[in-house]
Amino acid sequence: MPMSATELPPHAPSDTHDAPRGPHPLRAPVAAATPYLRLHNLSKRFGSSVAVDDVSLDIERGEFVCILGPSGCGKTTLLRAICGLDPQSFGRIEQDGRDISQLPPAARDFGIVFQSYALFPNLTVAQNVAFGLENRRQPRAAVRSRVAELLELVGLQALAGRFPSELSGGQQQRVALARALALAPGLLLLDEPLSALDARVRVHLRHEIRALQRRLGLTTLMITHDQEEAITMADRIVVMNRGRIEQIGTPEAIYCEPATPFVAGFVGTMNFIDAEVDAIGRARIGEVALDCTVEAFPGTPVRLAVRPEDVLLSTDEDALHGIAVEVRALEFLGPVLRLTLGDAALGARVLYADLPAAQARQWGLSLGVRLMATIEPTAIRVFPHDGAGA
Amino acid sequence: MSAVLGPVVTRDANAFWLRAGLWLLLAYLGVTLLLPLYALLSRSVEDAAGHFIGLANFAEYLSRPALRASLGNSLLVAGLTTLIVTATAFVYAYALTRSCIPARGAFRLVALSPLLAPSLLPAIALVYLFGRQGVIRDWLFGEPIYGPIGIVIGSCFWTFPHALTILLIALAGADGRLYEAATALGSSHWRTFRTVTLPGAKYGLISAALVTFTLTLTDFGVPKVIGGDYPVLATDVYKQVVGQQNFRMGAVVAIVLLLPALAAFILERRIGRHHSALSSRAQPYLPTPRPARDWPLFACCSLLAVALLGILGMAVYASLVRLWPYDLTLTLANYNFDLRDGGSWLAYRNSLWLATLTALAGTTLVFLGAWLCEKVPALPWLRGLIHMLALLPMAVPGLVLGIAYILFFNHPGNPLHGLYGTLAILVIATVAHFYTVGHLGAVTALRQLDPEYEAVGASLRTPAWRLLGRVTLPLCLPALLDLAMYFFVNALTTVSAVVFLYSPDTVLAAVAILNMDDAGDVAGAAAMAVMIFLTAAMVRTLYAQLSARLLRRLQPWRAGSRA
Ligand SMILES: Nc1ncnc2c1ncn2[C@@H]1O[C@H](COP(=O)(O)OP(=O)(O)O)[C@@H](O)[C@H]1O
Ligand SMILES: [Mg+2]
Repeated sequence: MPMSATELPPHAPSDTHDAPRGPHPLRAPVAAATPYLRLHNLSKRFGSSVAVDDVSLDIERGEFVCILGPSGCGKTTLLRAICGLDPQSFGRIEQDGRDISQLPPAARDFGIVFQSYALFPNLTVAQNVAFGLENRRQPRAAVRSRVAELLELVGLQALAGRFPSELSGGQQQRVALARALALAPGLLLLDEPLSALDARVRVHLRHEIRALQRRLGLTTLMITHDQEEAITMADRIVVMNRGRIEQIGTPEAIYCEPATPFVAGFVGTMNFIDAEVDAIGRARIGEVALDCTVEAFPGTPVRLAVRPEDVLLSTDEDALHGIAVEVRALEFLGPVLRLTLGDAALGARVLYADLPAAQARQWGLSLGVRLMATIEPTAIRVFPHDGAGA
Repeated sequence: MSAVLGPVVTRDANAFWLRAGLWLLLAYLGVTLLLPLYALLSRSVEDAAGHFIGLANFAEYLSRPALRASLGNSLLVAGLTTLIVTATAFVYAYALTRSCIPARGAFRLVALSPLLAPSLLPAIALVYLFGRQGVIRDWLFGEPIYGPIGIVIGSCFWTFPHALTILLIALAGADGRLYEAATALGSSHWRTFRTVTLPGAKYGLISAALVTFTLTLTDFGVPKVIGGDYPVLATDVYKQVVGQQNFRMGAVVAIVLLLPALAAFILERRIGRHHSALSSRAQPYLPTPRPARDWPLFACCSLLAVALLGILGMAVYASLVRLWPYDLTLTLANYNFDLRDGGSWLAYRNSLWLATLTALAGTTLVFLGAWLCEKVPALPWLRGLIHMLALLPMAVPGLVLGIAYILFFNHPGNPLHGLYGTLAILVIATVAHFYTVGHLGAVTALRQLDPEYEAVGASLRTPAWRLLGRVTLPLCLPALLDLAMYFFVNALTTVSAVVFLYSPDTVLAAVAILNMDDAGDVAGAAAMAVMIFLTAAMVRTLYAQLSARLLRRLQPWRAGSRA
């Protein structure tokens, strides 16, 4: 379903009761350089357990930030602290230069879409979207035109009179989005908005949400446990684990330069290989030496992290560089085959490598075939061997 | 880490009113529940002049053999009733949920019908069936019905549906997969019953037994009418307070009555907590016909249903007979309450008022209270406290509550003294008496709603009351109607709490039954009992007919897809 081309005015009409919110076209930003949302040392405890642990984060105006982490790592807790629904135990939150740490939710400026959508089942689509508008004592006509505008924005004009139970999951999600945008909030919060949907609808809605966010220039914080979702949608990704931030960076940085073993393992697939430093610029895996960027005393145990697609294979057994390996297992993943590679020289270690399926067919690949594997030094990330994360 | 005390904490008006609501609710429950019970407790440890004398009153109680005997009598009667009712209700519930006997709907209807009658009705019917001029008095082999036999039979009649409801729920939640597994493993029917069915229903059985025990122990209607000179705790309380005006000893006996009820209640809550919820992957169990099981069960159910209908029918017949047993012509003369000693149509009208007002006030109060407890994100300790207070009435027998109310509200120093003898205090007492079940029902309904509605409302800067009116109430309407129905029927049939609190102007139908029976006008008493039953049955039927249609009209979204 195509998005409408209509632009929304960046602010709700005649907002008489509250102080002006959000980016106002006629008002200069407080300070152009200040981030829109700032979290300072935010922590949240439930009794003795710490759900969010000393999180600091700056989000720029108009930015789309994803918080990515395994389930139970404190993402929702962090989001609810930002809303004021479950206030933080420690720390400070600033939005648009204003300290909102102690404000009740109703005094903050955000729209939210929950995983369950939380649509009101007894109200029609239009009534759901109008819910936030109706208690502002606006003329009915203004409310109606605003609702029409919002429904057009998410492409649901035709379904205005339906009840939520008469909509598909994707349509319900759009209604929730329109309702969250009704008061033209300065900040949009999305808690796993797509996880209840079919894979196909999910991919489609990723693009729609992102396009909408770009068009409105809306500062957005989305929570997800799906790394693919985060990578395809976000300007920046915040990877969380056990209540703490592991890394903040662009999707490329998170994928290609993971800062910790946890990030390396959580985003995409990763080979973790126990090794020890051989000399500066070289590590030893069992009896095999491998060039990589490492600067530590020889003998220091390390973990090498390599993406399966960065393990390059050839059938040339006489190649000078590389590790001679044997194919121990084959897994068909569609466009690529994932090979499990091993060799006596590697000991018990195995190496996973991705090979284009066409290439594998050409080689007539089967179990027991011997190959040469090479890894570019730049494709290897070296972590200290402390067993943490991963 | 910086613990930041931000700017002045903003509390919007909205939050202020919600907090105020919680405090008000606490105050209300304090005045209508805690303070009266405190008055009762303190009276039981004072002497006639009001000085604290420790447990001397209890020592005196134990030194009176007559009073001590009734404790044993009460436990015996309640124990016997519990055995009989739990066993028969289990068979009945088993037949309704796990077999393919015909007419299951009709059987269910018959078994639940005693809920609509005051507990006095079976007692009066027993007088006509087994009394000195009873139709089938020979069936007792010369034993008198007045005494333990009558109390047990009468109690069985009206507690049966309470136990049945619990067991129906316990047995309905069967996991079909377990039965399939048992069949696949070649387990015999009897073995499956012992290893799958019984353990699955264990908590239901214990719960049903405890509820039956408490109900019988604390009931006053049946032993008052059919108990003869067989004393039990409940009639002792009444005799001490109403007969001898001995409030001190009344308070003592009430506390002796309260203790086992409290113990049973706590036990029941404990067990309920262990009751594992059915896993969401459970498959419903669908019984298949098996004559060897179905026909004996059908015979048992028929026998029980005939007994229940027989008692009910006897009450109706007796109310229509001119002069039992000499002139059996049918007449409506017994319903001419204004001409009868102890009864009046005023009592019936008062009962209707009480039921209506209790339904309105009780539903409003209980629902708002449950809503405040569940949906207000403030003062968690206070909400916990209110929730506990809301559970208390379940443990307090109506008689005990009634005496507590006299002692508290009738105290000359109480500023609420003016309430005494009004319809208002009857409404307040009845709401308090039935608060727990209503509260639990409302809480269940509220917990079924998406917990994020409140968060969405806050993000749209909607005041809580608007979300309540626009979303929460419409979504809970069926539960609300059920709640109102529950209060209405119980207010109509209850006698235990109100028997101490009525005045000549606010006399109630259930009380009129007692008074007519006392005055020897058993036919009039039967007629009034039948009036209550018919009224409750009519309102219940009307409700079943109308509520579905009403919901369809008012709430089209419930229909699902209109396409
Ligand atoms: N209300 C609560 N009381 C106690 N513990 C909670 C509460 N809410 C969340 N937690 C705990 O905090 C941790 C983080 O939960 P959550 O933020 O929901 O994780 P996520 O959204 O990342 O899956 C979990 O261990 C959870 O058990
Ligand atoms: Mg979550």
